[in-house]
Amino acid sequence: MEKVEKKLREEAKKLLAEKKVDVIVGYEAGTLPLTATPVFITTPEEADKLVWNSFCQHNLAKYVHDLISAHKDSQKRLKPEDRKRKVVGVVTKGCTSRSLVIHLQERQYERMDTAILGVPCTGYVDRKKLAAKLGGEEILEGSLDGANLKIKTASGEKTIALKEVLADNCLTCRINNPVISDSMMGEPAPPMDFASEYAGVDEFEKLSPEERWAYFEKEMAKCIRCAACRQACPSCYCRTCFAEQSMPQWVGISEDPSDTQAFQFMRMYHMVGRCVDCGSCVSVCPMGVDLRKFLKKLDKDCFVLFSQRAGEKIDFPAPLQDQRMDDKEEFIYSPGGGH
Amino acid sequence: MSQHDKPAGKKSEGWEPKIIAIVCNWCTYAGADLAGISRIQYPPNVRIIRVPCTGRINPFYVVKALQAGADGVLISGCHPGECHYITGNLSARRKFATLKSFLNYIGLEDGRTTFTWVSASEGERFAQVIKGVTERVRALGPATKLIKKLRDVSVAAAK
Repeated sequence: MEKVEKKLREEAKKLLAEKKVDVIVGYEAGTLPLTATPVFITTPEEADKLVWNSFCQHNLAKYVHDLISAHKDSQKRLKPEDRKRKVVGVVTKGCTSRSLVIHLQERQYERMDTAILGVPCTGYVDRKKLAAKLGGEEILEGSLDGANLKIKTASGEKTIALKEVLADNCLTCRINNPVISDSMMGEPAPPMDFASEYAGVDEFEKLSPEERWAYFEKEMAKCIRCAACRQACPSCYCRTCFAEQSMPQWVGISEDPSDTQAFQFMRMYHMVGRCVDCGSCVSVCPMGVDLRKFLKKLDKDCFVLFSQRAGEKIDFPAPLQDQRMDDKEEFIYSPGGGH
Repeated sequence: MSQHDKPAGKKSEGWEPKIIAIVCNWCTYAGADLAGISRIQYPPNVRIIRVPCTGRINPFYVVKALQAGADGVLISGCHPGECHYITGNLSARRKFATLKSFLNYIGLEDGRTTFTWVSASEGERFAQVIKGVTERVRALGPATKLIKKLRDVSVAAAK
């Protein structure tokens, strides 16, 4: 991992010195122990801030989209011949690369607007899992020692296996190496345990509709509609979200549970073939809503029905942009049999 | 749909299923027309909304209809390959395959949402579809999930 970090800094310095990129979006050490936070680097000197470790959880594709669309807006008032391109370099793990592919499939920007610094990923630490392991105690000091975390709290030192606190989506991640990159830092990471990817979904499907509804209702009752999930999601980039639209008003603003259910249902349904399971929405949710249980189903359906996974292939249209004459249609109702 | 005749979610005497049918202008709407011209009888429980093409139907329409208290939602368009706009129904098929599956996954009954194809020459089939869907929804009883009940609460408070 240190080797990757070193190579990443060198590459970032090179790109910035040669003026091949205007800004590099990456991770720097957070202000609290065992955290990393996004950083925007514009000069070669700053490149040493960059880190790559098991605490880099953000999906940076969100920032790439934000930066490029803000830049494009600022260029609108210029004559076409005076407009400049802004190239954003981005530290990219598997899920980030898939989000970038989705943006490219959806023509949000062009491939030449980005410089992709690929990093091998072995998963990030889930802060909520870690807090639960420590019984809510504050982390005073911490370091990563091989496959273990060494943590100092008020009640003494603890050693926790990294594997025990990795996020659920990382444990069963299928694509943990970038699907596209301009330069790859180090060797690709070993695969994660993706065979059990849909275990949670399969189990949930076996429940009766009443049990499933009870679970959905219970989870959605927690939601306070702060829309943090939407803000963190790299696939949620609409200028006006349907949730704020007033003509027509898709989602009511009352405190009726059905309004929250409809909001969450619709936001999640938007993720058909677009959710890369990066865990951003889950990690930012202040109420701990189990969004992944539902989002993973869309991912499964997308693969079962259309044999595609979100952001897996760049030269291929996204599942809902495309259609085939022979798509499966078992769900079509036929009263007399036949079609 | 803005008027609830009866409080949603309560099985009351003389309850009749309320079904929203969103149909495409070129095939199913013409099919419904043919059923009418041919004087084929079918249950009067369905409220038809005509749209240019099934590809135009936003999946939110289905959620909105359910939230407003529809007991069932039917969507019908041209058979694959016969779309007036060439591939509108094929795009719709992908959307609705995932929508129905997701609605079922969160616990909605399978019979609440129905997707089918009825062509302009299939007046008989249209009547059969409406009969079939009405029976399915009737068997399920009044809708209880995803419904916005706030109106009922305010109505009760006003009394």
